[in-house]
Amino acid sequence: MKSRTRREFGCLTGGMALAALGPRLGASQAKAKVAVVGGGIGGATAAQYLAVSAPTIEVTLVEPKPNYTTCFFSNLYLAGLCSLESLTHGYETLAQRYGINVIHDSVTSVDPVAKTVGLKSGSKLPYDRVVVAPGIAFNYDALAGYDEAATQVIPHAWNAGPQTQLLRRQLESMEDGGVFVLVAPPNPFRCPPAPYERASLVAYYFKQYKPHSRILILDAKDNFNAQDLFLDAWERHYRGMIEWLPAQFTGGVKAIDVKERSVRTASDTFKAAVVNVIPPQMAGQLAQQIGLVDQSGWCPVDPITFESKLQPGIHVVGDATSAGDMPKSAFVANSQAKACAFAIAAVLTGSERPPPHLFNSCYTFLSPDDAVSNAVSFKPAAGTIKIVDNFVSQVQESAETRRRAAREAQSWYAAFTRDTFG
Amino acid sequence: MRKIIAVSIAASSFIILADRSQAADRDGGAQLAAMCTSCHRLDGGDGGIPTILGMSPEMLTRAMLAYRSRERPSHIMRAVALSLNDEEIATVARYLAALNK
Repeated sequence: MKSRTRREFGCLTGGMALAALGPRLGASQAKAKVAVVGGGIGGATAAQYLAVSAPTIEVTLVEPKPNYTTCFFSNLYLAGLCSLESLTHGYETLAQRYGINVIHDSVTSVDPVAKTVGLKSGSKLPYDRVVVAPGIAFNYDALAGYDEAATQVIPHAWNAGPQTQLLRRQLESMEDGGVFVLVAPPNPFRCPPAPYERASLVAYYFKQYKPHSRILILDAKDNFNAQDLFLDAWERHYRGMIEWLPAQFTGGVKAIDVKERSVRTASDTFKAAVVNVIPPQMAGQLAQQIGLVDQSGWCPVDPITFESKLQPGIHVVGDATSAGDMPKSAFVANSQAKACAFAIAAVLTGSERPPPHLFNSCYTFLSPDDAVSNAVSFKPAAGTIKIVDNFVSQVQESAETRRRAAREAQSWYAAFTRDTFG
Repeated sequence: MRKIIAVSIAASSFIILADRSQAADRDGGAQLAAMCTSCHRLDGGDGGIPTILGMSPEMLTRAMLAYRSRERPSHIMRAVALSLNDEEIATVARYLAALNK
């Protein structure tokens, strides 16, 4: 299936694409192999853009799960505003239209000397270049009483799927008047506005169905992303429903009592009907295993090619990276993956690498028809990645502007997931 | 059956793949357009984020310059326009205008 698509492609363009790619490439040339580990936003985007960059690159994508549910927009599902299916995307298009070899398996090792990726099934995939996009792992040593087993009772729902369904069920079962406690993590973490978007949309849900219920956010931090926008929205839409307590007030969250469903801070113990702990985070497990992680817990990378600073020949994109000023977001993972793919393709085809255009633009729902957005451009500088321009929605915007942004957000989701998954 | 599906998918999408690959190798238009496709669908608009297809290079260039100067209000498009120099705007405008021709 894959080779047929490629052959047809070559014939239909009269071989012009191949000829233009590089002086020494022809149909008989052995293909360069790139392995992509992880089929989240970073991995799927990297695989696609590598495949599109040159028909002489053979791309293999290894992902354990049969499909991918986006964590972004999953707060809408928690509020009962969309189905989880609508947020779930398969790998068929990447396999069939782009000729990517999609393997549903787990990667257990990457050998940078032999240049092979070891799979749980026992196979070894040879590569010329490898892109690792393992996402995040949770630090289960940070909060006493909150280990991996605890997530089955007190979900984090910070990887979308069964965890999100569990939290939704708990919110649905909650009686009116109950308290939903959300434990927000320290920096850096996946998606800076998301815990507060979650509080906002759960408040929306409570307002419709359980209006006497309350939300308490116990934060590891003393301030949070777009705080002015959230506080303004909470006052306008959910007055009296959401309370945010910073670390300087509580002394920080110390322990979770899973059986009692309570959260202990330095100063108090808060009992809840539903608890959502978003634990402190670090780079995904595989990155730690391969030695891509520094003492920060994240993967330092070259700001232009996203090659690991610790392991040459291995590239890292997405949430697992330590990428200067870039936050951890799906949009950033997609942006980094493109820059990385183009850089690798340039090396493998002997052509000029285009300058990277790193960008982030996130839509945040304060209510179903009140959305805000930001737009941040970045560029490599002084060995790291720095913000160039940073624009964000304003507190005084009209309701119509916010409604338009909510419509744009839905439109963005459709375009972005198509861009990533094909 | 799978072969038939593969052929029909390949046939219907080859235009985009072919154009993307050819243009990419001449002046970097495809790589620049990769920035656009994070938000703009290449299979038409849907009433939320506007389409960027079916316009001349001049129209696209004028739009980007209007976003850059804030004549057209959009903080997202302004950040995008500021991140591209004049040559890059011309390149991506040419590339997008040529798609699906």
